[in-house]
Amino acid sequence: MKSAPFDYHRATSVDDAVAVLTASDGEAKVIAGGQSLVPLLSMRMAQPTVLVDLNGLAELRSDRPTVTDGRARFGSMTRHAQLAIQTHHGLAAEMAGWIGHTAIRTRGTLGGSLAHADPNAECPALALACDAALSVQGADGVRTIPAAEFFAGMLQTALADDEILTVIDLAVPRRWGFAELARRHGDFALVLATVTELADGWRVVVGGVEGTPVRLADAEAALSSDASTDEVGRTVEESIVAYDDLHATSRYRRAMAAELVRRAVDQARRTQGEAS
Amino acid sequence: MVASLDQSTTTAGPIGTSPRRKEDHRLLTGRGRFVSDLQLPRMRHVAFVRSTYAHARIVSIDCNELDPIDHPVFTALSPGFEVGLFAQSALPGYVETEQPPLARGKTRFAGEAIAAVVADDRYQAEDAAEGVVVDYEPLPVTVRAWDEPQHPVHDAALDNVLLARTFSAGDVDAALAAAAVVVRREVVTNRHGGNPMEGRAGVALWEGSARDGHLTFWSGTQIPHLVRNLLAELLELPESNVRVIAPDVGGGFGTKAVLYPEDLALCLMARSLPGTPLKWVEDRAEHLAAATAARDHRYELEAGFDAEGHLVGIRGEAWCNVGAYSVYPWTAGIEALMAGGLLTGPYKVENYRCSVRGVATNTAPSGPYRGVARPATVYAMECLLDSGARALGMDSIDIRRVNLIGPDDVPYRLPTRLIDDTGHYAECLDACIERLGLDELRAEQARRRAEGGKPIGIGLACYNELTGLGRAASAGPRMPFRTGHEACTVRINPDGKVVVLSGVTSQGQGLETTLAQVVAEAVGVNYDDVEVRYGDTDQSLWGFGAFSSRQAVIAGGAANLAAVDVRESALRLAAELYEASPDDLRLENGSFYVAGSPEAVGTLADAARVAYLESNRLPPGFEPGLDATRFYDPVMGAFAAGVQVAAIELDPSTGEITILRWVCVEDAGRVVHPQIVDGQIAGSLAQGIGGAQYEHLVYDDEGNLRTGTLLDYLMPTSAEIPEFEIGHIERPADNPLGVRGVGEGGTLGPAAVLASAVADAVGIDIDQLPLTPERLWLALEDQR
Repeated sequence: MKSAPFDYHRATSVDDAVAVLTASDGEAKVIAGGQSLVPLLSMRMAQPTVLVDLNGLAELRSDRPTVTDGRARFGSMTRHAQLAIQTHHGLAAEMAGWIGHTAIRTRGTLGGSLAHADPNAECPALALACDAALSVQGADGVRTIPAAEFFAGMLQTALADDEILTVIDLAVPRRWGFAELARRHGDFALVLATVTELADGWRVVVGGVEGTPVRLADAEAALSSDASTDEVGRTVEESIVAYDDLHATSRYRRAMAAELVRRAVDQARRTQGEAS
Repeated sequence: MVASLDQSTTTAGPIGTSPRRKEDHRLLTGRGRFVSDLQLPRMRHVAFVRSTYAHARIVSIDCNELDPIDHPVFTALSPGFEVGLFAQSALPGYVETEQPPLARGKTRFAGEAIAAVVADDRYQAEDAAEGVVVDYEPLPVTVRAWDEPQHPVHDAALDNVLLARTFSAGDVDAALAAAAVVVRREVVTNRHGGNPMEGRAGVALWEGSARDGHLTFWSGTQIPHLVRNLLAELLELPESNVRVIAPDVGGGFGTKAVLYPEDLALCLMARSLPGTPLKWVEDRAEHLAAATAARDHRYELEAGFDAEGHLVGIRGEAWCNVGAYSVYPWTAGIEALMAGGLLTGPYKVENYRCSVRGVATNTAPSGPYRGVARPATVYAMECLLDSGARALGMDSIDIRRVNLIGPDDVPYRLPTRLIDDTGHYAECLDACIERLGLDELRAEQARRRAEGGKPIGIGLACYNELTGLGRAASAGPRMPFRTGHEACTVRINPDGKVVVLSGVTSQGQGLETTLAQVVAEAVGVNYDDVEVRYGDTDQSLWGFGAFSSRQAVIAGGAANLAAVDVRESALRLAAELYEASPDDLRLENGSFYVAGSPEAVGTLADAARVAYLESNRLPPGFEPGLDATRFYDPVMGAFAAGVQVAAIELDPSTGEITILRWVCVEDAGRVVHPQIVDGQIAGSLAQGIGGAQYEHLVYDDEGNLRTGTLLDYLMPTSAEIPEFEIGHIERPADNPLGVRGVGEGGTLGPAAVLASAVADAVGIDIDQLPLTPERLWLALEDQR
């Protein structure tokens, strides 16, 4: 449980970090909060030649988000703990509070969690639920990736080897609901569900059932046509293909996804909108 | 977490009070010194190369890439590695097998150490370990003790059965044939293990020649003297040439009461590299993969009851997964013998037959773990009682009540010939029920059944914790040693302060404190004037160490005897010095008093100075010095009664359980340090709940451990553990201090309590552990 040798580079700017990534030919790893990467290093499941540390980059931090036109922009180095206490994006605050334990939230970052792309984590589902626009910077300059195109599979994203996630732009939902089931306090979710009402309608997102968080079109349609909570839940169970693993069977995951969506729908319908 | 904690922190510290723990300042301020803190000149570090196959012939081990000076590599073929660990038992039906220090010829479980490499630090050692390439030829794998064996794990046992024994009393077949009802349960318990905060660790230093050098082994062991004795034999050294030091140890729970192949390998490597201290500190992945685990059992049981609910007979079979090796030195019988020997628990039954087997498989070895087998047997037994109650239409509490051994029954001879000396179970049960407020909970349960709402269930478990096993009680496994005794030296220094040299050890249980209280009270000095030392075989005479809830009873007993002897000597000396009759003198708080006078006539410090420095003032025939060494063996053991009762709430939509209340009442006999006793009970309850709901070492059919990190092996955190309400009935045991052990009892109840509560809430039998939300949800789905 000791990492293999690697070089360490503390980036002085995003450009500097991109330059090191570009030069390392895919053998580098970016370290933000390190809450997933350091265990992977220790288990030697990740053996980068160089670690590029973003912790010195003030330009990626944001003590509070910039809020305009019903959207909130967060720097990628925003710690989960900051996300949990900010008041501009209620769903982000709620979901961040479910991440790990205090020590993990203090180090872990929004950008790091998105780039790691664990389907059982809160941040990827948050991004999809809030129609995130993800700004990334690489050797070829800056581009924006919608969350729907960002997650490519289990622990896989659309980020190129030389690219760094810099800004996460989230829609602030008018109404939302969130529910999560985990074996222990602070664990990755077995299943989690969000229901968000955005400018263009309802979104229903479930995490922990496939390699990426998934949007459930049937459930969204049911919700838009004012279907009952139980009817929305039924569409969830019918439309999901969940995986089996050590911690839960596909059958249980599907049923829990439906149950959590029901809870999230109830919560969303009970609450008043927060975005104007 | 503990509602009943006595918050008093007096400094006087006589028995029955809770003085500040002597070890706490050191341990709580980061000043403890553990094996991993040890830094020695020229020290190098070891990493083991571990098998990636559960069962495979080792075709070759290639380490040509490594420089033999920078990175010496050891394998089973290295000089000296011919030696092996043979756990011995004279029981008929026991098959002796060998555990090599490094896998020899074949590997028997994934995670077994095959080679060891040396480097200047652990990082480099792990780098070097990657340079060792093992070529395997896979063999068929057996994972479960009750599956058809695929290929013998050991050639000596073609059916993989390392131990088989049938416990039998009365005529169980006739009893069941005549019973009003017979219930049958098949239950499977989940493998889990100790997972102490500090993993295994050792530093071995060999000085001098290979044939008669001196070995110093710092080890986070629970059993330093036994380790010294075993290492001396294995290494063919005089015992005086081996010193074992257990410094501060961060938890053990039985996991560290084992001499491991890695320990032996480290010492053999040190012999090949004399003068170079070699350090190995296990990481969590190694612990999960290769330290001993426990509780991987299956039971098939039948119980017969008469119409009033009396147990008339129990018949059945049990399979205990031994893992790949017979744990050294406790043997493959450790769990199976306990399972068969104590299955009937605190319940009266005359007709009994249970066949137990310890079966080798291609998984990590099983070994001692807090509660040894009984968290599983209590669960199995309480399942039988719940089924019996349902079949007879009886209340689940009433059926236990009619079967519990009572004070009038003791000494009660269990069908397995162990003698229960307590009988205070019903008192514990009454105290639990009163505290729980049963009537109120039953009313709420009925209300929810009628009006809807999450179901509530009330569960309970009654158990006997066999503690402080003396030579007779520890004879069961028929090992070549009997763990019934402990030695203790109590020494008054020339300044009148007291030093206690105990053979017992502590992994956080507070033995420095408890033994100081015992000795302070017995000698007649202040708690603050007593210092307790343990864990160094060069300091104390002898002790088996810490396991089987034996420290308070046996080490406490030895400390008490030695302290009483020293007080007698001090009083004899003082009688001469102060010209008083010894019968009129007493020693209190370090001063001597004559009967009838409130003024002290002198101090222990004065007398001690005479004893050591002024032989001219010694009475004729009085040998200089003031110390005594005594052994104590309780011969039998002290059963400790315990009952746990809990109320839970189920969420039928997810299968999640919320623990509403958890009450535990135990008979700890005379309580030495109430806060420590409550801490032991709370800690063991938490471990029991962990085992019942969360912890599970899962192997796939190829023998790969699927829960190899703490991401997948779920230890309970404080967020999962409820408030406990702990109560005591104090019925002094028949030993000089009147104490009973309390180290394990808490672990025995939780699985049974939760299963019983689920049965009470929704009528579902839980036949497999851990009790996960999904398991419960699936059962509820089947019911819907």
